Amino acid sequence: MQIMRTTVIVWICLLSLMAGTVCAAEVVVVVSSENPIKSLSLTQITDIYLGRMIRFPNGNPVKPIDLSESSPARSQFYSRYLGRSQPQIKAHWSKLIFTGRGQPPPTVSSGDAMAESVAENPDAIGYLSSDFLDDRLRVVTID
Amino acid sequence: MPPVDSTTRWSRLHRLIEPPVLSILMAFLFLAVIWAITFNLIARENAAADRTAAAVAMDVADTYEAQVVRALREIDHTLKMVRHQLEDHPAQEVLEDLRSEALLPPEIIFTISIIDARGEILGSTNRSSLPENMAAMDFFKRAKEQEDVVIGQPQRERESDEWQLTFSRRFREAGNRFAGIVAVSVHAGYFVSGYESDALGEHGVLGLVGTDGVFRVLRTGNAISAGTAINYYALVQEDTPADTPAEVTVNPWDDTRRYTIARKLYEFPLAIVVALSEIEQLAPAGRIERSYIWRAAMASILVAAIAALLGRLSWQLQKSRTRIMKEQAEHARNVEYLAYHDNLTGLPNRALFSQLLYRQMQQAHRYGKQLALMFLDLDRFKAINDSLGHEAGDELLKKMGRRIGESLRESDIVARLGGDEFIMLLPEITEETQVTKVAGKILAAVARPFTLAEQESRITISIGIAMFPADGDDEQTLMKNADIAMYQAKEGGKNSFRFYSEKFNTDSLERLSLESSLRNALENKEFCLYYQSKQDMATGRITGIEALLRWQHPDLGLIPPMQFIPLAEENGLIIPIGRWVFKTACHQNIAWQNQGFPKLSMAVNISKRQFFDENFLKDVGDALQESKMAPELLELEITEAVLMHDMDRTIRILKDVKQMGVRVAIDDFGTGYSSLSKLKEFPLDTLKIDGSFIQNMIPNAEIKSLTTALIDLGRSLGFTVVAEGVESKEQADLLKIHSCDQFQGFYINKPMPPEEFTSAVRKQLKGYADTASPD
Repeated sequence: MQIMRTTVIVWICLLSLMAGTVCAAEVVVVVSSENPIKSLSLTQITDIYLGRMIRFPNGNPVKPIDLSESSPARSQFYSRYLGRSQPQIKAHWSKLIFTGRGQPPPTVSSGDAMAESVAENPDAIGYLSSDFLDDRLRVVTID
Repeated sequence: MPPVDSTTRWSRLHRLIEPPVLSILMAFLFLAVIWAITFNLIARENAAADRTAAAVAMDVADTYEAQVVRALREIDHTLKMVRHQLEDHPAQEVLEDLRSEALLPPEIIFTISIIDARGEILGSTNRSSLPENMAAMDFFKRAKEQEDVVIGQPQRERESDEWQLTFSRRFREAGNRFAGIVAVSVHAGYFVSGYESDALGEHGVLGLVGTDGVFRVLRTGNAISAGTAINYYALVQEDTPADTPAEVTVNPWDDTRRYTIARKLYEFPLAIVVALSEIEQLAPAGRIERSYIWRAAMASILVAAIAALLGRLSWQLQKSRTRIMKEQAEHARNVEYLAYHDNLTGLPNRALFSQLLYRQMQQAHRYGKQLALMFLDLDRFKAINDSLGHEAGDELLKKMGRRIGESLRESDIVARLGGDEFIMLLPEITEETQVTKVAGKILAAVARPFTLAEQESRITISIGIAMFPADGDDEQTLMKNADIAMYQAKEGGKNSFRFYSEKFNTDSLERLSLESSLRNALENKEFCLYYQSKQDMATGRITGIEALLRWQHPDLGLIPPMQFIPLAEENGLIIPIGRWVFKTACHQNIAWQNQGFPKLSMAVNISKRQFFDENFLKDVGDALQESKMAPELLELEITEAVLMHDMDRTIRILKDVKQMGVRVAIDDFGTGYSSLSKLKEFPLDTLKIDGSFIQNMIPNAEIKSLTTALIDLGRSLGFTVVAEGVESKEQADLLKIHSCDQFQGFYINKPMPPEEFTSAVRKQLKGYADTASPD
């Protein structure tokens, strides 16, 4: 009885892991293919998304674009690339907005919209699930 | 008595500046200064910290007020903008349009919703965070009723459980009918996100309180709360000006003392609350205060230690100084004791006795009392010293001192003057018997045998007593007279005492004075020789000279030999004096010969002691040899008494004298009861008949026959007979008849000093020459 139950639990776990891998495609940072930037460090990405950095290393202005709060890719992005939780990000912007020192990046509600926004603007930077990649976008490699 | 008081006060004051007390006082002074400075600094620090906290609170409040007002205006602006759009757009499209135009505030913080009159949500930027129907919400009800912006009670969000604030305004349909509300929901934390620990610390406060007394949000450190109700009017004084400094009050919501500023916002039914924890703000000052107190305590300990050290050192210094002073005083007392006491017997010495005597004399003088001064001298002290040794002598003196002391009365004083002399002072004497009694006791005490150097010795003493004021009213006289009395006691027999008596004063005094000056006379060249000539009876020519000793005393004048020769005999001074006479007489005679005088004999008188002195012959020989005078010119005159004293010895000496060629004369013959039978046994040359016979032979027939008999006796024995003391022509003529050989005396010549004698003799010689030449 005991062994059977353990076996069942193990199977369930394995199946759920497989499902996760299949469903959750990887979140990548992208820029317009017209943007000369090929790679950025995690620190640079963090600074751009927390409003501390307003230009790319090559001097061009940077316009970060966010997904809406309800998007799963958003929380993945923040936890993977910035190492911060949603409430932390919220507190960060809350303080900047309240004290008048910054505005959060504009949001788009879907991966498609993100792809569109980034492709349109050579200064833009965004993130999306790799499912939404297309030719107009370039994945920024992380140093 | 004021002087005494001031003296004690002065001495008390004086004690304050003694080093040990001074160092303690200085230490207290230092401590007082240290602590005064410390408390002053602490007070300043606290005041500064207080001012700083109040100022920080004010700064933070100003900034916070501005931020809140801006944030509220933005929200109200959004409300108004949405409401405006609703006037000619369907609710579903308004939010989408505004959003696409980026006219809405960031969704991450703000949720904008449009709600219809029934409370149904027509549109929202974040629908999932909202309940299905809003009709029950307080802000909905209130917004429905009023035109102004409504700030709802804080609500917990469904998903995150965070406090949410909702701002709302109503909107109307055509016909001015209530159509619904526009609402902006914000996390309450948004309004306190400016909380800076740097300025507010961990226990400061940022908050918004509604005019209804309910906190919309309240943050302390990282803790955010909402909904707490307080007495709004107790917290916010709406009429106080904006620049009123923060005051410390107890915040009622958590009972903490804080520098609190609560300021009503101008356009909104809200007040901001900014507060700084008093404990937290004053903590640095408290740390400084503790460090100051710690330093002051250390400094105090140091000062106390130094003061203790200094105090101890100076106390020791003072102690040793006192000790040195004591030792010096002791030493001085010792020195004084030694200066005034005889160190052998411990009795007062002469100096102290002199003082005591002076004092007692003054007392006695004032009260008309008598004093007795006793001189005491040991009779044979020198003999004891010589035979038993000095130690025994010292021992004797010590014992003497004790015995004398025991014999005296309480009030009497004994002192040692030195040597074997003691002196006693007996005050309060009313009759002589008192003194006699004491003197007797002393004699009796001393009469008991002394054990000295393990031998029994018997000592006798002599005591001389002088009374004050009868025998002298000054120290010198009293001492001298007591001394004289003692001398008399000694003369009168051993172990006796004598009171001073006026009658033996002169004798003794003269004698004492002569004796002492006689000792110096030879040295001071006070002696001289007078010369008297001897004449031939038949021719009257000068045949010889007699030298006569005279003493020219500086004070007493010329003293005749009678007065000092016996003294010189007694103390032996006659020997050197006689020696001087020989030499002087012989040299004078030679000098005269060199001046052209004929060879005249020179007669010198010899005393008994001189004659029997062992060096007598040598002295005579030396004088002859030195002067180169012919021995036969020298004539030694000796008296009958000398001649008869020790006949055998005299004959022996005289034979030696004759051997030398010197002549011998017997002087003052007739007065000494000489044994005429023995006379011829002496080898004599001249017989001089005493002047008393010559001067009395004219009036007295008996003496005249006696004198002629003497002349005959001398001539029959073959002596040259010389008559002494011839004073008149009658005497000279008579002697001439009776065949006397020579004479001397005032008739021709009196004794004269050498110069006078020279001229006299010269005249005489010339006279003879004159009378001789016609013959």
